[in-house]
Amino acid sequence: MRRLVILVLLLAAMRLILPLGAEGQGSEALLSFGFLILAAYTVGEVAAAVRLPKIVGYLVGGLLLGPHVLGAISANGTEQLTPVSQLAVALIAFLAGAELRWGEVRDRGVTLLKMMSTELVVTFVALVGLLYGLRGLIPPLAGAPPVEALAFALLFASIAVVHSPAVTMALLTETRAHGPVARTTLGVVLLADVAVVLLFSATLAIVQGFAPPEGGSAVVGVGMVLWEIGGALVVGALLGGAVALYLRYVGRELILFAVLLAFFGLEIARLAHVEVLLTLLTAGFVAENTSSRGDELRHAMERSAAPIFVVFFALSGAKIDIAAVAPLLPLVIPIALVRGSAIWMGTRLGAAWAGVAGPERKLAWMGLVSQAGVAIGLSAILADAYPGRGAYLQGLLLALIAVNETVGPVLFRRALSKGGELAPENGAPEPAPAPAAAVVAGEPV
Amino acid sequence: MSAGLVLILVVVGAYVAAHLASEWLARRYLIVSGAEYLLLGILLGPQVSGMITPSTVGGFAPFMTLAFGWIGALVGAQFRLPELMRIPRVMYRVAWLEAVFSLAAVAGIMAATLSWWFVLEPAAVVRPAIVLGAIAVASAPAGIALTSRSMGQSGPMIRQLSVATAIDAVVAITTFGVLLAVTHSEPLSTVRPPTATEWVVVSIAVGLLGGILFHLFLGPERKVDRLFIALAGALILTSGAAAYMRLSPLLPAMLVGAVLVNTSHSHVEIRQVLGKVERPLYFVLLIFAGAAWQPSSRGWLVPVAVLLLARTVAKLGAARFAARWTGVLPALGAGWGMGLLGHGGLAIAIALNYHLHEGSALSNVVFTAAIVSVFLSDVFSARVVRSLVRAYGGRVAGAARRLAHPRTGQGAP
Repeated sequence: MRRLVILVLLLAAMRLILPLGAEGQGSEALLSFGFLILAAYTVGEVAAAVRLPKIVGYLVGGLLLGPHVLGAISANGTEQLTPVSQLAVALIAFLAGAELRWGEVRDRGVTLLKMMSTELVVTFVALVGLLYGLRGLIPPLAGAPPVEALAFALLFASIAVVHSPAVTMALLTETRAHGPVARTTLGVVLLADVAVVLLFSATLAIVQGFAPPEGGSAVVGVGMVLWEIGGALVVGALLGGAVALYLRYVGRELILFAVLLAFFGLEIARLAHVEVLLTLLTAGFVAENTSSRGDELRHAMERSAAPIFVVFFALSGAKIDIAAVAPLLPLVIPIALVRGSAIWMGTRLGAAWAGVAGPERKLAWMGLVSQAGVAIGLSAILADAYPGRGAYLQGLLLALIAVNETVGPVLFRRALSKGGELAPENGAPEPAPAPAAAVVAGEPV
Repeated sequence: MSAGLVLILVVVGAYVAAHLASEWLARRYLIVSGAEYLLLGILLGPQVSGMITPSTVGGFAPFMTLAFGWIGALVGAQFRLPELMRIPRVMYRVAWLEAVFSLAAVAGIMAATLSWWFVLEPAAVVRPAIVLGAIAVASAPAGIALTSRSMGQSGPMIRQLSVATAIDAVVAITTFGVLLAVTHSEPLSTVRPPTATEWVVVSIAVGLLGGILFHLFLGPERKVDRLFIALAGALILTSGAAAYMRLSPLLPAMLVGAVLVNTSHSHVEIRQVLGKVERPLYFVLLIFAGAAWQPSSRGWLVPVAVLLLARTVAKLGAARFAARWTGVLPALGAGWGMGLLGHGGLAIAIALNYHLHEGSALSNVVFTAAIVSVFLSDVFSARVVRSLVRAYGGRVAGAARRLAHPRTGQGAP
């Protein structure tokens, strides 16, 4: 109740302040930023009270307060906060990389690879089949020749299979889960992040043969894709090495350094035309595994990232256009159900192939349903390449992402709960293992 | 290689070099850390290398606004009543007198100087003169802290200097905040523009109501990391609201800090959280302050020199006068005001806030004066405080106790 009163007071304060102000010096961005942190955080607390993941609260908070519902934050305000989202992505990627230990990669790499590849293949095939089957219901594909319809179904599926490292990391942080379900899910999601970039790029390159791009910027060469992935590994490793040196020889002002590092990683990845997430993920992995003080940097990064994460998910919610999503739901819900079923089946098959016997065999799929930033980014590339049909598919994908973004965290939390991996304050039935690594500032974001 | 990448590489490299250099300087010569970041900002800025462009500086304005708010909240967080009650009243009297007289003296001298030097009507120089007065009042606690650490003591002289520094900060922030409110330009969107008094009320209300709201928000929370999110949100919102209304974020944020430490059970944790982010934000502020600086097209040497001289004379004179007025001159010594000559983050924050707000030639002179003063004071402030403590330390305690409790000779608990 107290939280709701605060939320109402915050809204009232915004209503009072807005007529007294004037745009300038990015002040509206700061006002929106502060308001979103507090309001989304409050909704997150309300969500936690009803046993939902906090990030669902942040999303719903952003959705309610954003330009498409209550309008407490304007479209301009959300636009001005785009750098915050980018910073959050960079921090999440670095933290995710820092979660991985070389020993774990060595011991479980093949297992994770088998699970990931099977899950991706099964889901991809299922989605291609579904979309091709439903093509009569999808306006831009209804009258298209079968080959073109198949081409666009391939493109759609290559994006719809994407998972969300951001949601996974945020939820592991929130719940402080560190057991086999958590580790397996994180491993699969991170591996899949690399694989889907390759898959999408390869699909786009193939599809261009059947359906030449309508836009001008979509020509994808093999060399370009290889550089995007390989270059990211090289640049990330160099960045991680530099971080390790800093930690060894300076090791001070880590919060400032963490934020600078995230900005630097974003900038260098953009300039080198390499994959941003993979660059920072590699940097985090190298820094953590080559420095004895990696934990200190990670903790500083987690501390500075906490409010940024709240805003990141709130902004994701604010960008959901309810009016655009609602008409697509009759089409999106079957797709989401098929996708979820395929992930379940693919993960089970992959686990059986890899000989996995623990709880992750049954539960890991629930952590793979979420979608967020990566999928949104790829759908924008699709719309850019094919402004006509691609734009419609982008709308469909965004609606699908909105559903998975909301349902996914709930499922993942349930998986962690069933696996007995939640920390006590998160309503765990039994004590969880020590939260050695997956802690953002010791508490949920 | 693109300018953006060069910029980041240079920032990181220079940051590491500056940090190592400043550590060595602080250890070897008792030089306060800070000026090197300013210098770095100037080197990177449009005036020297041009690696940080004016548009980049503009793009980082929200961070600077947040830094202003954070600095304000840190000042406010010093004022927890139960702790203030333990300090002898005479120390406050000395501090208030010193602050008010310094402000009046410097503002008056600078008004006359600016009017004469730039051949302007008195009305045109009142605002910058008062801002210069507020800047002059602010004293940096860094030199005192450094001396305290290096000498391993926190005796009465250090305590008096700390009290005076805190009161100086309150006077500087309040003066500046009220000035911006009183001379507020009208917003375009309202039916009836608020009056000057209403703007002052708005400025204070944002702080007080914000403090109460965030007190409710924080509730019984004691975990530092959750407090961090809530506090960051509170200060970002308060600072953003003030900046959005074209008010200074320093005053409302100071009030938020004061309300929170006085009403929350988590006051220790709140200070801890504020303190943890202070240095990074301060350094970012200094770098961008340096980058935002531009040599004035109008002659700034004379006003800056006059300010430095006026501030020194006013601080020493006001401190001496305050000590004499309250009867503690024998205990503090005639030169105790020298310990207040250090200039630091608050002065830069006020000057930069004013410069970003106003953007005029005179505001650049004000900003230049603050930068020069911080440069100089970082070099000598810790050494001056150390020599003062060596010369007079311990003498103030007895006198203060006698004045606070003349019959028992005991100080407050």
